[in-house]
Amino acid sequence: MSHSTVPRSRAEADPSGTTPAAPGTAAGPARKDPRGRPGLRARFRRDRLLLLMTLPALALVLVFNYIPILGNIVAFQDYDPYISDNGVVSILNSPFVGLENFRRIFEDSAFWSAVQNTFVLFALQLVLYFPIPILLALLINSVVRPRVRAVAQAVLYLPHFFSWVLVIAVFQQLLGGAGLLSQLLRQHGYDGLDIMTDPGTFKFLVTAQSVWKDAGWGIIVFLAALSSVSPDLYEAAAMDGAGRWRRIWHVTLPALRPVIALLLVLRVGDALTVGFEQILLQRDAVGPGASEVLDTFVWWNGVRNQDFGYAAAAGLIKGVVSIGLVLAANKVAHLMGEQGVYKK
Amino acid sequence: MTPNAASSSAPSRRSFLASSAVAAAAVAGGMPLLAACGGSDTGSREGTTSGKDAKKLLPAYVASNVVAPDIPARNGSALGFTAKLDLATLKTSVPKKLGKGGKVTVMSPFWGSPPKQGNAYYRAMNDLIGVDVVWQNQDGNTYDQKLGAVLASSDVPDVVVVPGWNMGGKIPSAIIGKFADLGPYLSGDAVKEYPNLAAIPTDAWQRSLFGGKLRGLPMPTPSAPSMVPLYRQDIFAKEGYELPKSCDEFMALAKEITNARAKRWACLDMKWTAFQAFGVLSGSEKPLGWNLVDGKLVNRIETEEFLEALEWSRKLFAAGVVHPDSKLGKNAPDPGPKFAAGEFLIYPNNISQWWGRTAEQATQNPEFKIWGMDVWGHDGGNPTLWAEQPAGIFAFVSKKASESVIRDVLAVANVTAAPYGTKEYMMTNYGVEGTHYTVKDGVPTKTDQGNIEVMNAYVMVASPAATIAHPDFPDVAKGQVEWQQRMGAFARKSSFWGMQITEPARYTNLSNDVEQLEDDIVRGRKKISDMQQFVSDWKSKGGDKLRDWYKKVLDDNGSAAS
Repeated sequence: MSHSTVPRSRAEADPSGTTPAAPGTAAGPARKDPRGRPGLRARFRRDRLLLLMTLPALALVLVFNYIPILGNIVAFQDYDPYISDNGVVSILNSPFVGLENFRRIFEDSAFWSAVQNTFVLFALQLVLYFPIPILLALLINSVVRPRVRAVAQAVLYLPHFFSWVLVIAVFQQLLGGAGLLSQLLRQHGYDGLDIMTDPGTFKFLVTAQSVWKDAGWGIIVFLAALSSVSPDLYEAAAMDGAGRWRRIWHVTLPALRPVIALLLVLRVGDALTVGFEQILLQRDAVGPGASEVLDTFVWWNGVRNQDFGYAAAAGLIKGVVSIGLVLAANKVAHLMGEQGVYKK
Repeated sequence: MTPNAASSSAPSRRSFLASSAVAAAAVAGGMPLLAACGGSDTGSREGTTSGKDAKKLLPAYVASNVVAPDIPARNGSALGFTAKLDLATLKTSVPKKLGKGGKVTVMSPFWGSPPKQGNAYYRAMNDLIGVDVVWQNQDGNTYDQKLGAVLASSDVPDVVVVPGWNMGGKIPSAIIGKFADLGPYLSGDAVKEYPNLAAIPTDAWQRSLFGGKLRGLPMPTPSAPSMVPLYRQDIFAKEGYELPKSCDEFMALAKEITNARAKRWACLDMKWTAFQAFGVLSGSEKPLGWNLVDGKLVNRIETEEFLEALEWSRKLFAAGVVHPDSKLGKNAPDPGPKFAAGEFLIYPNNISQWWGRTAEQATQNPEFKIWGMDVWGHDGGNPTLWAEQPAGIFAFVSKKASESVIRDVLAVANVTAAPYGTKEYMMTNYGVEGTHYTVKDGVPTKTDQGNIEVMNAYVMVASPAATIAHPDFPDVAKGQVEWQQRMGAFARKSSFWGMQITEPARYTNLSNDVEQLEDDIVRGRKKISDMQQFVSDWKSKGGDKLRDWYKKVLDDNGSAAS
């Protein structure tokens, strides 16, 4: 998609004001939009069925996403959930401690170590993990025989459905200190490797596990984007003498660009979430120094140590930083001329 | 709990295989505390309950003499029964079913693979008790990670079993806030309605006082040490290995044993044995980590011995004599199969595994012989060991439970606390004859089904005075009791032994990460200096104030220290 085809604002996209606004985005003055759209009431009447259909989803978001936000109040308390059977009553009866929890967090070296591990893992996964589904999608897309293609896809998707417990057990059996590889080495006179318990290489291990498990699943979106590329474009390029690589560079990749940008923005917004179960399961094998990330830090302090106020404060910090990251990534996407996640 | 505490969970009580091993000496111990104490702060959440206040709450003690022990309790050991048991003349200690047929859900830690719901053993027990007990068995090694969340919910099971070493963080607050006062049903003479509970020694009940009320049903334990360095006696004999008498000898032996190429290592993580060899105060419960030295309370983490024990344990890892699985920490697989396969020959664990592993391997692996080695002093002298609490695991009843549910729970406890020599004890620990064990020449032998189903479930609700009795392996029972008596002779009581103490909430998080740090150091991921740094932070963040607080508890209540 080139620069000029991307609408930069709603007005530009819809200069005449005749196209109806997308359902559900209704906003603005009640009667008559200055840009000539039907009034709110008219639009409501027209879209009421669509709005009705969004209600269940809206209720879910409200109940499971918005109402729990109120619970963040415990970040400012020495929260004790055990003083009552009712969470709300517990909150009302727990003493407020102001910013004490935040002060403790900023002084806690374990917290900073978790922040560092989180960012290192994120950066590593961005470089080593993110491009792999794209490459795999290109590879699969180039396979012509449908049967081979179906089998390859199935094989690639499958590990996604294994639980982390299983994946880590398999890695342990193969690469652990008493695993197959180590024992084979020892029988031939070499030292055993202990990949599973080496804190120094833990970040690569975690990334490798993620690639093995989820890279295949990640190609779905890219395959869908690829299927929408018109074969005419390839034909035309071939007519003009473009080789295989030039076709990928000039036709395929530009077609994937918006999807890549979108996923990248989403990924950056999720930067502080680098895997919970996977890391928790291996926390003891390498120690928290190498493995603690923000999510496991919150879990350890909240659920394991029942220091709920402290854990909630750490979670709140994570949430605020994540919002900042999404906004920043979205901005960068706009600067690059892409749609990003949303536009004003 | 922490630091300390959880710690012990690791190997220590990991394996409460059914058994009787859990029992307790008790009778001998008596009630030193009661005699010693002064005031207390009944009703408040912090502190302890002793003296007159305790006396009002404690159940009356009515001894039960079903079978006289062959080895009487000595040095804090359990009662030992080694003579042949006449299965035909077992006594009945619960003549009429006390259960009213209600349903009771019990959440408890479980070491091993829990059997299916509604299996033959559970059905038979429920039938005997007259209560429909539904088990929620959770992995005992990571129990601390679930307890906090379950107790924070509004849907707490009728009964929750909480080991003392899992009482870290705000769990003590949860115990006081969420669990019922059993005093009206058990204090004083009321307990006589449940004769087997009345026979539980008083110092185990003393430990069940939480927040000024009698809330727990105790599992009495011997005060003699429980952490045994277990080893493969058959392989030792075959290879001519001699038992080590000092840390240096152990290291030399470990190097001799290890042959990684042949998939054999000397041991697992020996941290628990190292703590004993160097005389480190117990980490199984926060109050046990304190001791009065020259008029000043000292915490275990402040001592030289603590650092030396960690350093020696680290050297074992560094020397490559520790099985690689141990590096995985709590995620390590169950040591049983690899120990049976001879991948390693020594590991420290709760004394109950001595019998548990024996029974497990008896039919399929007749060569296999597991035994306990005596703990050595690090320099070759006698070790200094620290006494265990007279009760370490407690069952609590939800505050929301109705009286009929509480009565049903007590009916369960009255059966599971039946002493050795009764039909109830046999059913609780061995299951149903013909299904879970077979009798040959008067000796019961557990079947495969028995080894799977008759595990550590019902004994969690309450147990009789510490008892060691294995009619199937009397030599193991004898070995266990004698080990306890030899080691018990070296055991001292630290300042807060026997008390149930609730720390003020503001200090509960101070030592949450000690155990983690210990494990990191031993595995070479952190340095001894990191621990020293931690200790100095600990002092300034509240450790010194906590010391003052404990001093006051000691001044107010006296001590049972020896």
